[in-house]
Amino acid sequence: MDSFNAITAAIFLPFIFAGLVPVMEKLLKQRIGWFAVATALACFILIGMAAPGVIEEGHIVQGSIPWIPSAGVDFTIYADGLAMMIGFIASGIGVLIMSYSNGYMSKTEDLKRYYQYLLLFMGSMIGMVFSGNTIQLFIFWELTSITSFMLIGYWRHKPESIYGATKSLLLTASGGLAMLAGFLLLGNITGSFDLTAILNDPQVINAIKEHELFLITLILIFIGAAAKSAQGPFYIWLPNAMEAPTPVSAFLHSATMVKAGIYLIARIHPIFSGTEAWFILVSGTGIITMLVAGFLAFRQTDIKGILAYSTISQLAYLMTMYGYTTYHEPGIGVAAATFHLLNHATFKACLFLVAGIVAHEAATRDIRKLGGLRREMPITFIIACIAGLSMAGIPPLNGFLSKEMFYESSLEMGASLGGIFTFLIPAFAVLGGVFTFAYSIKLIDGIFLGERDKEAIPHHIHEPPMTMLIPPAFLAFLIILFGVIPSLPTHYIIEPAVSGILLETAHLHVKLWHGFTASLMMTIVTFILGILIYTKYDRIAAWQDNFNMKKPWISINYYYDRAVDSAKGNAFRFSSRSQTGSIKLYMSAMLLLMIALIAIPAAILATNIVPSQLNFDIPPYEAILLLLLIVAALSAAILPKYLPAIIALSTLGYGVSLLFIYLKAPDLALTQVLVETLSTIIFLLAITKIPQKYKEKISFSVLTRDILIAITIAASVFVLLLNATQGIVDPFASLSHYFIDNSLLLAGGHNIVNVIIVDFRSYDTLGEIAVMCLAALGVYNLIHSRSEE
Amino acid sequence: MTTIITKTITKICIPLVILFSISLLLAGHNNPGGGFIGGVMFVSVIALAYVVFGLRYIKTFFNPDWAKWFGFGLTLASLTAFSAMMFGHNFFRSAVEFVHLPLFGEIELVSAGLFDIGVYFVVIGSLLFIFKNVGDDNE
Repeated sequence: MDSFNAITAAIFLPFIFAGLVPVMEKLLKQRIGWFAVATALACFILIGMAAPGVIEEGHIVQGSIPWIPSAGVDFTIYADGLAMMIGFIASGIGVLIMSYSNGYMSKTEDLKRYYQYLLLFMGSMIGMVFSGNTIQLFIFWELTSITSFMLIGYWRHKPESIYGATKSLLLTASGGLAMLAGFLLLGNITGSFDLTAILNDPQVINAIKEHELFLITLILIFIGAAAKSAQGPFYIWLPNAMEAPTPVSAFLHSATMVKAGIYLIARIHPIFSGTEAWFILVSGTGIITMLVAGFLAFRQTDIKGILAYSTISQLAYLMTMYGYTTYHEPGIGVAAATFHLLNHATFKACLFLVAGIVAHEAATRDIRKLGGLRREMPITFIIACIAGLSMAGIPPLNGFLSKEMFYESSLEMGASLGGIFTFLIPAFAVLGGVFTFAYSIKLIDGIFLGERDKEAIPHHIHEPPMTMLIPPAFLAFLIILFGVIPSLPTHYIIEPAVSGILLETAHLHVKLWHGFTASLMMTIVTFILGILIYTKYDRIAAWQDNFNMKKPWISINYYYDRAVDSAKGNAFRFSSRSQTGSIKLYMSAMLLLMIALIAIPAAILATNIVPSQLNFDIPPYEAILLLLLIVAALSAAILPKYLPAIIALSTLGYGVSLLFIYLKAPDLALTQVLVETLSTIIFLLAITKIPQKYKEKISFSVLTRDILIAITIAASVFVLLLNATQGIVDPFASLSHYFIDNSLLLAGGHNIVNVIIVDFRSYDTLGEIAVMCLAALGVYNLIHSRSEE
Repeated sequence: MTTIITKTITKICIPLVILFSISLLLAGHNNPGGGFIGGVMFVSVIALAYVVFGLRYIKTFFNPDWAKWFGFGLTLASLTAFSAMMFGHNFFRSAVEFVHLPLFGEIELVSAGLFDIGVYFVVIGSLLFIFKNVGDDNE
């Protein structure tokens, strides 16, 4: 299999296998999770098949299949080192998460749905990173938003998880729409939606940078990335998304979903970087988010809450580093950011899995109740220490290396800006590191060290099953491996990825020990300040709580909740005013609209209302039938009781079907008879429940109004029919000739009506039957939502 | 409406009308009929049975999940549309084949007929689904 096919297969395999989950569940019962693991493993191997060329030779896998040629959109794959790296992370962590879920998820849960969502999400994520086309990227991007919405809201009975899921969908999907607008502008500038074409051609990139729409395009795309990666004001969705099952949080918030925004920033890096706008927007947002989220992590009492804020803060590191740029050197922090991206995926996924183990065994995630678990779960303790210390940046773990690189690039960026920034940017970086250090230590200390609280958790806690222990242990192994032998990840993963971002071959030399450099000094300062701040940890948290209590309006959540609540209120007020439930009002509205659309244009456009060539040669039997129809119609309108009125109405209907027979349209006549029968039966069923007389007294003015509307409608339809073939509109040739000539030839049928329905206009029919199904479901929901009240 | 006469006649009608509805469905391509008319015909006789014998009584021995019927119909219709793409043709391209069968003589097989069967099931499923739900609510 060549690389292009392998990657295409890796994208679609999860989608297809998600469809097979219900079938496999019948076979495997509760072991269905291993089927999902196998799928993720297959994706990992498929991506791996394409990897050697990309890694060793710097080759980029490209290829496309025509998809919407009329809009210039193809299904395009662009697999460089960056896409490979995120693809490996998504599928590799996917394998670990799904194996872990086998132990974590209770057997009574709806496992089928759980693994389907996970597979769909993974497929969307893989599809997103390998997209070589902005429209395709957007579609997979929004698919990740939708599937993560389903995953976060997996526990449908909990209002918190519904709230969290809705929040994440509202923010990330609307950010995605801003991104789509940005992509459309980009398409407008370059004349194509093909990312491959832009990235392969330096001239196009220069043209974009000089274009007047450059800034607005960048801002729109950046909003999409920031919303996805929980940066800036959009960060608020991530803490609430912690309502998801913990393996889901580990998957979404360490390795995949939130990394999508970072991926997008890295992907468009060559197009937009090297400008002031890029630095201010990306690094500026990053630095602010890094400090604020790192600080806010202090007051969290839920261990997943701490992890959520630390994720926001760590993602902000990545943003900041990708934002470091100058004219001469557009990618100062790219290597550091890419390395940290990989490291963050390892230690954060590991920490989330540890949090899951703790919550699973101790039945609480409250850090105030936890503590002293090191004796009861020593293996988990060691794993948590490795991951937590890596996040804190302690050598010789991988977090230390990438934090050093972060400091180095901050120094370089500060130096190139000059002035006050020489010190300010490194100082911000150190401050971010100090916060990270403090909450990392808090996690380890709060859960495993200190005294055991026998009152909060009376039962004995033991180590989890192996299925839950091996995935985080494997990640901890990677953390040490990447830290001790950094040349391994840098050569095979980071260098190809950095080359993909910078569009030139990159060489990195990362060593554990590189002498007493300025960045090592900064690390030492970080540790000292971190320890100092950790001694004040509880006081800072108490101050934050106090501040939040006194001034609740200084929070973005406050405004989000108000906006959502007022939207609900306004929607309710609007619908209660427009949907009064009065059928008479609805009818009048529809008929008045018809008058506006038919009668008024006809009156304006018509030269002669009554056409000159009218055929008054009506056979007597038709005349009698028409007379009967008029009588029936009149009686339906004026009869005072329901039952006779309904019978008059059905007489009218049957009369019309008789007319169809005279006019030689047996299909129509048959349909009319049947529909008439059915509607009469339904009418009669309903009528037995209603009092038999009109109770409502109709005033004279209302009656006049209704009669006026009715007459106007009748007159306009009458005139329209008179002029159907001549008069107001241009006479058009009979359409039936085409069908009479071609129905047997092209569709092999003699019955033109049926051939039109199932062959010539089958697309319309498909739409109509879909509408019928939806209508049936709509009726069902209306009836059942009413009876629940 | 539940006199002995209607009950007796309805009993006789049901199989006949169902057979007629199937014949309408199959004959549709060349003679008056088709999936829609056949479906409505089927619906009307079941509706008649519901009305005459009462929904509650019918449900004790004949209670299909009509939602599955329209689900099946819509799936079949869409698959017919997509199947043409698998042979490299356009969406909804139809095919005609004439087959000789021992007893029936020459039979015309049209891929659009499959689509029509989908329409038939959608009409039956959705209308009776509505009918049953509205009827249930009235009880």
